[in-house]
Amino acid sequence: MHTFAYERPATLPEVVALLGRHGTDARLLAGGTDLIIRLRDGTLHPGVVIDLKRVAELCPAIREEDGRLAIGATTVMTDIAADPRVRRDFMALAEAAAVVGSVQIRNRATLGGNICNASPAADTAPPLLVYGAEVVAAGPGGSRRIPIADFFVRSGQTTLEPGELVTAIELPLPRRRMGAVHVRRSRRRGHDLASVTLCCGVDEAGWTRLAYGSVGPRPVLAVDESGMLADPDAPEAARAEILERLFTDASPSPRSMRASPAYRLAMLRTLGARALRTAIQRLAEE
Amino acid sequence: MRATGVGASIQRGGGYGRVTGQQQYVADIRLQDALQVKLVTLDCARARIIAIDTDAARQVPGVRLVVSAADLPQPVARFGPQFEDRPILAVGETKYHGEPVAAVAAETKDAAEEAARLVRIEYEELPAVFSLEAALDPAAPLVQDPALRPGDPLAGTNVLREHRVGWEEIEAARADLVVEHTYEFPMVTHFAIEPHAFMAAPDGDGIAVWSSIQHPNWLQKVLAKILGLPLSKIRVHAPDPGGGFGGKQHAKLEPLVALMALRAGQPVRLVLTLEETFQAVRRTAARVRVRTGFHRDGTFAFQDVAADYLLGAYADIADRVVSKGSYPACGPYRVPAARILARSVLSHTTPSTAFRGFGNPQVNWAVESNIDEGARALGIDPLELRLQNLARRGEAFIPFDTPADGQWEQTARRAARLIGWGTPLPPGRGRGIALGIKSGPTTGLSYSTVRLLADGSVIVYAGTSDMGQGARTIFAQIAAEELGAPLDWITVVMGDTAVVPYDQQTSASRSTVLMGNAVLRACREIQSQLRAMAARLHGMDASLIAVDRGVVRLPDRELSTLDVLKPGLGRLGGELIGNGEMRKDEEPGHPLGGSAAFFEFNCTAVEVEVDEGTGDVLLVRHVTVSDVGKAINPLQVRAQDEGAAIQGLGHTLMEHYIFDEAGRIRNLGAIDYRIPTSMDLPLELVSDAVENADGPGPYGAKGMSEGALLCVAPAVAAAVRDATGLVIRDLPLSPERVWRALRERDAAAAAVTGAVQPASVPVAAATGGAPSGR
Repeated sequence: MHTFAYERPATLPEVVALLGRHGTDARLLAGGTDLIIRLRDGTLHPGVVIDLKRVAELCPAIREEDGRLAIGATTVMTDIAADPRVRRDFMALAEAAAVVGSVQIRNRATLGGNICNASPAADTAPPLLVYGAEVVAAGPGGSRRIPIADFFVRSGQTTLEPGELVTAIELPLPRRRMGAVHVRRSRRRGHDLASVTLCCGVDEAGWTRLAYGSVGPRPVLAVDESGMLADPDAPEAARAEILERLFTDASPSPRSMRASPAYRLAMLRTLGARALRTAIQRLAEE
Repeated sequence: MRATGVGASIQRGGGYGRVTGQQQYVADIRLQDALQVKLVTLDCARARIIAIDTDAARQVPGVRLVVSAADLPQPVARFGPQFEDRPILAVGETKYHGEPVAAVAAETKDAAEEAARLVRIEYEELPAVFSLEAALDPAAPLVQDPALRPGDPLAGTNVLREHRVGWEEIEAARADLVVEHTYEFPMVTHFAIEPHAFMAAPDGDGIAVWSSIQHPNWLQKVLAKILGLPLSKIRVHAPDPGGGFGGKQHAKLEPLVALMALRAGQPVRLVLTLEETFQAVRRTAARVRVRTGFHRDGTFAFQDVAADYLLGAYADIADRVVSKGSYPACGPYRVPAARILARSVLSHTTPSTAFRGFGNPQVNWAVESNIDEGARALGIDPLELRLQNLARRGEAFIPFDTPADGQWEQTARRAARLIGWGTPLPPGRGRGIALGIKSGPTTGLSYSTVRLLADGSVIVYAGTSDMGQGARTIFAQIAAEELGAPLDWITVVMGDTAVVPYDQQTSASRSTVLMGNAVLRACREIQSQLRAMAARLHGMDASLIAVDRGVVRLPDRELSTLDVLKPGLGRLGGELIGNGEMRKDEEPGHPLGGSAAFFEFNCTAVEVEVDEGTGDVLLVRHVTVSDVGKAINPLQVRAQDEGAAIQGLGHTLMEHYIFDEAGRIRNLGAIDYRIPTSMDLPLELVSDAVENADGPGPYGAKGMSEGALLCVAPAVAAAVRDATGLVIRDLPLSPERVWRALRERDAAAAAVTGAVQPASVPVAAATGGAPSGR
């Protein structure tokens, strides 16, 4: 492993100051499940690693406030998957958090890390898109909110400004009842990276929100407001046509060895149709 | 049966230490002042080495030694169990991605890694071959220097050897149906959880070497030759490996670390990463063409098998894998005429080596799949067709070898019953069944020493490596049974060539039979000493006394071992020492150099559910039954077969190397090379054994634990076909591959204007032509 300096700031302003001083030479350490691997295999060699685990403002927590559920950026997957409020209102996020990596990984991997790593295959991204999450970022200019749909650029690249870091992810509490589900495709049933990761939500107004990842440079959200998709009694051909339209932004890489583009695109459709059925069923059971 | 002796399902000795981290693997052993070694490799498969500049590497603080081939004794020694073709470090040319060109020894691992990055190698990438097609192209670059193969007519090709076995004339055989197809078996790796690890240290006027090796005595010979030292000056410590599966049988980097330790004058230590292990060991891939001739009633007319195995850049033991693995290609059947041609083909890839099943799973996959296709074409139940042709006990099914040594039909029928063969299935489900056979060891030599100490406790010395298969427990059970000692009073000493007597090797499921018999004979020698002792103590003729399984029988009463031992040894104490030898000599003229000590026989039957939307194959139920002769420890027998079955599901469903154009393994490491996890197990896994006490080992035992891997793939593929009508002849049966086949099936069906087309079996006429020229 290359040598690097190690900083362990105690407050958020100190983190922002360190990021300001070191710029792109700094990497943030939360759970470390992405960072440590890349430090070890030599694909990253930062001059300084800033450990966020002792930052007072960043202690892991899930809080309900002002009609939102705020999940601290350093909250780990295990805690998100088990949280009763998440499970009550954002079941698909709990499902996604429960399939990230293995048990040991989920005990370390954070929600902030999962979205900031910006892997197209990040499993929490599709449910966050479906639930309309907002990313809370802190930086030299103070705090701001970024809609999750504007957050991802491509693998490893987000719309965070230099010197900014994510402090929380906020989910607006649902005003309309919604049935939602997260599904994924991987090469085995045991822990694996997703070759398609997908979330579908159907609400009582008849809107269908479909988000998917691992089939292009960034996770995608597509919405049907016509009410046709969510209506099992609507003409099958019309529904199929709408569903097909929701997949137009998928453009899987031919270079991946995990699955061919043809298979990913076919699975996107298989999983999308299955998830839609489950979401409708869950809405009915609400 | 007593709770601790033979036939008892006692827990494995050392099992607790293994799972709690108490066991000391090679990487856990700390030698004072040990230098850390890092290998230097190139970023391509084959290259001409132009210059090596180590100056910058030597400047890194803490670096003590940087060696390349030029720094080794000249000419650079080559070694290998079959052909001495592998140099200690690459000489002039690398032949596969990951071949070490240089090595650094430093005070810390970080310094060694830093320096390894700074070794500057000027090289020219050369054309290379990574597949059978490329390697067999007449214009292909040669992997092996023809100068290493003087007088060999194949020296100008990448074919290392051709192996031919057969009987009767297949051309003369008449068949009503001939089924011919070609099957592919992928490159897979052992994935032992313990990384391969090596240490060496100067030891007086000799050297001590620690290795995760399966064959410490063989390694001792290799090192003695390379270092020019007598065997007695080479001490090999071989702590119980954490999984070997054949990948740790033969010397790999031990000669390098030994030379580095002698050069540095202090201990050196090299622990491979998982990625480096992928580049060090793998299974031999294969393409197998099978032509089976059937009579209308399902009996076999002939078998014609041509198997091309893809070896790596150095032969290691892989040519033996090819000859021995292809030898029983026709299976456990009565086959009137047979022709088997197997070729060892070299390539610029990771050297392939022994791997559980030893070349048999490749041909078994092909031949059993072909038989299944024939059964369906003939409209005969695949189980019935197999039973109809199955060799019965005592039948010389391979004419010049050991006759069938089990009532194999019992094994097949047991598996069929346990899977519910012939009972109705829900839609989307299917069943498949297959038989597997493997020739056991053809030669062998094992010695054991057993010491019965004054208090009745026992020390057993056995040179077997217990890599998880449970050999320690088996030998302890034998000694407990024979000498009447409680199991926890028995210590089994292994893995130190300075202390433990010679053992040829731990491979081919031999240890229960060969070393087991040596331990048994050593115990029996102690029994005869006890008999003499009892005769002396009781003033009677020894012929009146019998010693059997820990009991000394006098004409009028029975005594325990200790009743005789204590007074017999007297006030000075002491001990009784027994030695046992088990030898299976070579048989000149035999195609394999010797007939099978026993056969491993297995029947695997599975029920699968195929998700036609995704291509997922779910194992609903997996039954594996082996003929083991006698289960000395039934718990271990069941668990060994469970492990083999799951390992077999790896190459059946998900495992394979993926290469890029430069011959680099793209899915190097655990992230993109997937093995089954606990989540991927069959929903139900049933492991059972047939015991007729008809093996050559102690109490009628046969070797086992490879059998349950042999025919997993053909059983699963047959079940997929039963569920979907798909015939897939490539492995692994990954979701994407199955999905593609489903799509092709549906496209073909649509093309036939809506008519559902049954998956057809191309049937050729019985022409008995020459084997294809591949």
